[in-house]
Amino acid sequence: MSSGRQDRSAGSGTRLTPAFRPQQVRKEPPCQAGCPNCGDIRGWIGTVAQRSRTGLSREDAFAQAWRMITDVNPFPSVLGRVCPHPCEAHCNRGELDEPLAINAMERFLGDWAIENRLPLPALEPEAGGEWIGVVGAGPSGLSFAYQMARRGYRVTVYEGREQAGGMLRFGVPDYRLPPEILDAEVQRILNLGVELHLNTQVGQDVTLAELRERHTSLYLGLGAQLGRGLGLPGEEGPSVWTGVDYLERANQGRPAETGARVLVVGGGNTAVDAARTARRTGATVTLMYRRTREEMPAIAEEVEDALEEGIELMLLATPVSVERDDDGRLRGVEACRMELGEPDASGRRRPVAMPGSEFRLAVDTLITAVSQSPALKGFEALDRDGSWLVSGDGGWVADGISAGGDLLGLGIAGNAIVQGRRAAESVHERLRGGGRLAAADAPLPTIGPDRIIFDHKPGSAAVKTPKRDGEQRVCAGMSEVAGTITESQFLQEVERCYSCGSCMGCEQCAMYCTSSCFTRLEEVGPGMYFSLALDECKECGKCIEVCPCGFLDVS
Amino acid sequence: MNRHSQQTVADAFSSLAGNKSDDLSLSDGSRVAVVGGGPAGSFFAFFLLKMAQAIDLELEVDIYDPRSFSRCGPAGCNHCGGIVSESLVQILAAEGINLPPEVVQRGIESYVIHMDVGSVAIESPAGEQRIAALYRGNGPREGGDAPWDSFDGYLQGMATERGARVLRKLITAMEWRDGRPWLQFADRSQDRYDLVAVASGVNSNLLKMLADLPAEFQPPRTTRTYICEFKAGEDGVQNILGNAVHVFLLAIPRLEFAAIIPKGEFATVVMVGEDLDQELVHEFLNDPVVRGCFPTDAVPCVCSCSPLINMGARKRPYADRVVLVGDCGVTRLYKDGIGAAYRTAKAAASTAVFMGVSEEAFRKNFWPACRAIATDNAIGRVMFASTGTLKRFRFLRRVIHRMTAREQAQPGRRPHMSSMMWNMFTGSAPYTDICRGAMHPGFIGNFAANLALGAWPASQRREVS
Repeated sequence: MSSGRQDRSAGSGTRLTPAFRPQQVRKEPPCQAGCPNCGDIRGWIGTVAQRSRTGLSREDAFAQAWRMITDVNPFPSVLGRVCPHPCEAHCNRGELDEPLAINAMERFLGDWAIENRLPLPALEPEAGGEWIGVVGAGPSGLSFAYQMARRGYRVTVYEGREQAGGMLRFGVPDYRLPPEILDAEVQRILNLGVELHLNTQVGQDVTLAELRERHTSLYLGLGAQLGRGLGLPGEEGPSVWTGVDYLERANQGRPAETGARVLVVGGGNTAVDAARTARRTGATVTLMYRRTREEMPAIAEEVEDALEEGIELMLLATPVSVERDDDGRLRGVEACRMELGEPDASGRRRPVAMPGSEFRLAVDTLITAVSQSPALKGFEALDRDGSWLVSGDGGWVADGISAGGDLLGLGIAGNAIVQGRRAAESVHERLRGGGRLAAADAPLPTIGPDRIIFDHKPGSAAVKTPKRDGEQRVCAGMSEVAGTITESQFLQEVERCYSCGSCMGCEQCAMYCTSSCFTRLEEVGPGMYFSLALDECKECGKCIEVCPCGFLDVS
Repeated sequence: MNRHSQQTVADAFSSLAGNKSDDLSLSDGSRVAVVGGGPAGSFFAFFLLKMAQAIDLELEVDIYDPRSFSRCGPAGCNHCGGIVSESLVQILAAEGINLPPEVVQRGIESYVIHMDVGSVAIESPAGEQRIAALYRGNGPREGGDAPWDSFDGYLQGMATERGARVLRKLITAMEWRDGRPWLQFADRSQDRYDLVAVASGVNSNLLKMLADLPAEFQPPRTTRTYICEFKAGEDGVQNILGNAVHVFLLAIPRLEFAAIIPKGEFATVVMVGEDLDQELVHEFLNDPVVRGCFPTDAVPCVCSCSPLINMGARKRPYADRVVLVGDCGVTRLYKDGIGAAYRTAKAAASTAVFMGVSEEAFRKNFWPACRAIATDNAIGRVMFASTGTLKRFRFLRRVIHRMTAREQAQPGRRPHMSSMMWNMFTGSAPYTDICRGAMHPGFIGNFAANLALGAWPASQRREVS
């Protein structure tokens, strides 16, 4: 019998039937592909969603998930409030009903950790001999400081203002980010032993050369604090503010006197923040933008909120001159209508003025929030491209000096945080030869909605962040407009995740394999539940086709 | 005072209710879990609810199956050849289950039996025992826009129309606590039921997980089959196979038998044998007789699998509050698994509704239906053993061929051999009946005559009728 079989196998030619042999392939889900910070979003959601499969208590799962976030981002409570969450934009679940409310979940975990006083874990308990200097206590500088301090470096941060937080404190209004939340997350970084020198301006209180001399390595996270004007005739003078300056004063509790009618010019978040802040002083506010709502760079939800709060949106219009009376007092703004022409370098259609469409608006205050640039006084020794500092890989701008955040180019807070982390990893590598600690080194194949079996879970709408209605929000002044989801909402929301491209332990492959190719691992966790041995595989491919998360591929 | 007496009454009621559910019968609000949403599970849920509604008993019935029959390929497939006999279709119609034409593709009019000594076509006897082909799931891979609907999906729909709830959850274990079965799910959550009907078939590992339970719950003996789907296009299939199922009795060691079934634009190849592997599959597909009738290398094979089939009845497929229906309990040898699922599921449902859910109730009222099948299988096993003999001796194959061919050529004669072969391969009749037919004097006399004539050297070449 056995010899007969060998004869047959020798005689068998090409295959007549297809072979569907499985292999386990971890893939990059769209949430992580969309996050500039490369956070292991699927991982921390899975840690909570799969806690009963892995035997974690709810508290342990929350803490572990929070530590996974803080591995790359020490500000989950802050970003859970201010991030425009590009992670949600391409969530595969959007094909079924709604993307996961990742941002709201991050905020929940961040608040939970603050409430439970979770400390940021240090990776190296003892500090070495190096002394690292950081200029600027904004998101990028603090992210850098955190990543260095937890690796066992002595870190000192120099901040020109009287408080840490940078744009998060002075640029983001309190109704979006209450100062006590920012304080709590900043304090946790300082608790790792980071020294903070406030009211220390480089170029005034200390020079760049001195700092470079003092520290083993220096990081610049200055941000872009200078609001740009429009350059209109009559713009110079009272009652005209840049968005940055206006918000800074408001955030310091001494808002500028605006009068009854305020015109804000711009379409980004600073413009919307300034408009909403002005509205809270009781003014009538018009937000003027030269393109359409489609092209507005501000977070769409913030624009929606602004409209709900009674702000008038004036699209396809731009100011051409500022009108003042003989005493120099602002009387109004002359503006004209625009139309969209050919696409420009950014791909957006260029607005073109319509001749003869000029009109006049009576206003008491003009706030211009069209762009910002870094204040680089005292840093003349470094290379620049126009307003911006120029850096190489790892944020290096000179020997022993690296940089990150808005002074390299404007971006969201998440971007500033990732640049701080990347720079820290680079410095760590140079000083101690330490490898990167954060995941996502090798690029993984991406996974789209076509590989997800949506009927594995019931359809359900995403959790909605609780929010007061527009009128109430305006009356409530600078108190926070949105709430944090509840624990039960959070636990429901994690269940909506399909764990795209990573095993979630549904056990179907093992259940339906009649050849016992799948063996449950002793130690399980998100992404690892079964080992795979193909000796007995019958190549039917059922395991691959029942896998709801697209973890199994045809090999 | 008043309040106190109310409480006492409520307590009395609740303890009464507690007693009632402890006495191993279903009552209003009882919870029934059906593990597996294939035909056996859906039949069970359907009949359970239908019978319960007839006596005004309100049950909560949950069917657990994580798979969806709306998807092509293995994910929504239930692995079988997909042949049902016309008699079963009629029986289901009498039960109020009218299979629509999108689900059942009738019109298979004949069987062609291929042997090395020749091929012979058997027309469906008396025109009423025709057979139908169907897809249990939603068809093979690459069958996206196929015109058929899933048979299993249709039955599940019948059950949900009756009020069953289908839950897409995978069950990973079952345990007893407080005298009740508890199901455990992949996410480690648990749920308690008053009755669990296991209808998980033999192609999942659930039964292994039940093996920790009382000794009677040994998984049945199984053997592997091999099924593959060839995409030949509607015209291609019609040209190659016609409206006939092709059965092969070839002298290939380890191969019990094989069949090719036309289904729309696909042809399903089914093989049953001992220790089936790729080599055996190749040997079959490359056999000259097979190649002569079905050029498997000329059409692409899109789907293949090696499902297990039940080869031996369980000693006792029931216990207090647990009953096993369909393939995971007792089923018919090689054939008509859906018919067996129907009979065992219906027997289990009527027992649960009218007689209770105790081991004793199932023994008295459910087991006889299973035992009848098991006994018939024993006879079937002997008969299939004789086909083994047939495959070994060429002269016997010539007798079969000659006898069948002559019967088919003369429609007026009593078709002893033809109907025996027909029933053997279609599952239209119990093996007991087939065996009785083989004992008929007419059959034996005919067989003897053909044995003598067929041995004549002049007829020793392959002929096609």
